[in-house]
Amino acid sequence: MDCTFCHKGNNKEVDMVKAHQGIVKKPSDNLSLCGMCHKPVAENYQKSLHYTSAGQRHGVLGRFSEAEVKVFDEKVFERSCRACHASCGDCHVKSPAVGGLSIGLIEGHKYVKRNEGKTCAFCHGGRVYPEYTGEYSGSVDVHYQKGMMCVECHRKEELHGDGQAYRSKNQVKQRPKCTNCHKSGGEAKLTARISHEKHQGKASCQSCHSSGSYRQCYDCHPTGSKAKAEIYIGRNPRTMKELTTLRLIPTVRDTFAEAGISMEKFDTLPNYWDSAVHNIKKRTDRTRNCDNCHVERKDFLTKERLIPNGSRANESLIYNLGPIPIQR
Amino acid sequence: MRKWKYVVVLWMAAMFLVPAAVLARDIAPFESTGWLEKNLKNPKVVVVDVRKPEEYAAGHIPGAVNVFYGSWAIKKGDLLNELPVDDDLRDVITSAGIEPSSWVVVTGKNAAVPDRWDSTRVAFTLKYAGVENVAILDGGYDKWVAEKKPVSTDKVVPKKKAYNGKFNKAVVVNKAYTLGALDKALIIDVRAPEFYKGEKKLDFVARAGRIKGAVNLPATLLFNPDGTYKDRAELEAIAKPVVGADLSREMITYCDTGKVCTSWWFVLTELLGYKNVKVYDGSSMEWMKDAMAPSAP
Repeated sequence: MDCTFCHKGNNKEVDMVKAHQGIVKKPSDNLSLCGMCHKPVAENYQKSLHYTSAGQRHGVLGRFSEAEVKVFDEKVFERSCRACHASCGDCHVKSPAVGGLSIGLIEGHKYVKRNEGKTCAFCHGGRVYPEYTGEYSGSVDVHYQKGMMCVECHRKEELHGDGQAYRSKNQVKQRPKCTNCHKSGGEAKLTARISHEKHQGKASCQSCHSSGSYRQCYDCHPTGSKAKAEIYIGRNPRTMKELTTLRLIPTVRDTFAEAGISMEKFDTLPNYWDSAVHNIKKRTDRTRNCDNCHVERKDFLTKERLIPNGSRANESLIYNLGPIPIQR
Repeated sequence: MRKWKYVVVLWMAAMFLVPAAVLARDIAPFESTGWLEKNLKNPKVVVVDVRKPEEYAAGHIPGAVNVFYGSWAIKKGDLLNELPVDDDLRDVITSAGIEPSSWVVVTGKNAAVPDRWDSTRVAFTLKYAGVENVAILDGGYDKWVAEKKPVSTDKVVPKKKAYNGKFNKAVVVNKAYTLGALDKALIIDVRAPEFYKGEKKLDFVARAGRIKGAVNLPATLLFNPDGTYKDRAELEAIAKPVVGADLSREMITYCDTGKVCTSWWFVLTELLGYKNVKVYDGSSMEWMKDAMAPSAP
């Protein structure tokens, strides 16, 4: 294949301007081009969350009235959020541009199977990747410590999609679970086995194994956001049944004010959401000492810690105020 | 026969001159790329590559295990380079397949000066954990590549054996200890002279200046222009006028974040035979935050 197969233009023309007429800078924006050889992958991929960005849309939709949804789709989603979708080339040829900046080709113009440090690290470089490598919090995730990169857990079936058009990453069947590798009951230490049994269904893995603070973003749009490191432990807003690590999602009341959206149902959804934070350690303050949670409630979300003027739904995520008995 | 007598006399003289700590080693504190190439298949040798997993995956010394720098030094509160808790550190060392009797060669990036401290801090941490034979690869991975020595992209998964080395806790001191030692120990500031003099400071250090009474032994003096370490005689000639010749004197090295100061700690202890050198890894970040901590100018 020569360059024009993908990039078009005219490679017979010696004049630069004429040779570049009709050139296509990002050929893989047209998935059918890659689909000529990789048909099943391209067909699945066009419905995947990486391509549709549907997670960004559906994450906020619950705050809008029907009329506001139409305005959002027209003025915000298609013009802003959708610009973030990843084409094949963003992961396999050229590092994705974030904020208009890209480090360029991954390995010359070679097609690479994976290079997480030059691809995933950019789009997910605000929170997940620097938390994983310890660059943000100073505490490296144990999986990175062992040399594991993103695709070791987030397999290609998850990243390419399975042909289903999901609304949220929480619906994706191939999403990794800690228990895929760490089967409960196989622990070497009795104390670990008992702890896992006692907390099953009551606390997520990361609620104990997150090593500490992770990035929380505040006050997103229209004035820009601020970030600081915090850890919040509270009820999982999706189930309300288990404790988990919560991350502040920075939608505030005037986030979409410029588009004329007041978010009539803003208080329907909380500002804190369950987050599988990527700063996991085998031992943490909470695994070393039960009292950190059961007595002191260290790092728990409290009324005092809630963001000012946040959603009224936030309070429901505060775990009960009574003592938590330790079953020894 | 006379020639043999001469050799024996010379050898005995050397025994008195070279400090015992240096003799206890089976490998030199700084091993060359040539030595490592010849010893790659030695079962005692464990090459620890402290670069990021992405960098290791792109190419590494054949047989090297990857244990990223962030596994060896962690952030605790505001302090950037602190030792992991003992059981976590034992896990890290175990995961690298290191035993107390291993010959560990630490390698990392070397082209930029700040990258070199990753290797010295890891070497210091291994000595703290009780590994006797720890060396730094002189010139690091960059020299290895520049010399076109073989590289591999195969990930090495070492055989694990629970690490049972005896930790040498006395080599690390905290602020309270350093405060108490100001009148007796020699405090060594390894930062550049402008930081020592208080003319400059890093943003995250609360106040400019140095610990009161500290002497200045800049870490940048350790290197040749090509990024390798100067030889023993040159380093001794740099250190001795500043720290003296008393090998048993208590000394405490510090810098801004607790990383750079491990370089002179390693050289003084492992190469020059000083027997009582400690690291204050809270360093200026911690000291200068305390307005009551004695400082100068």
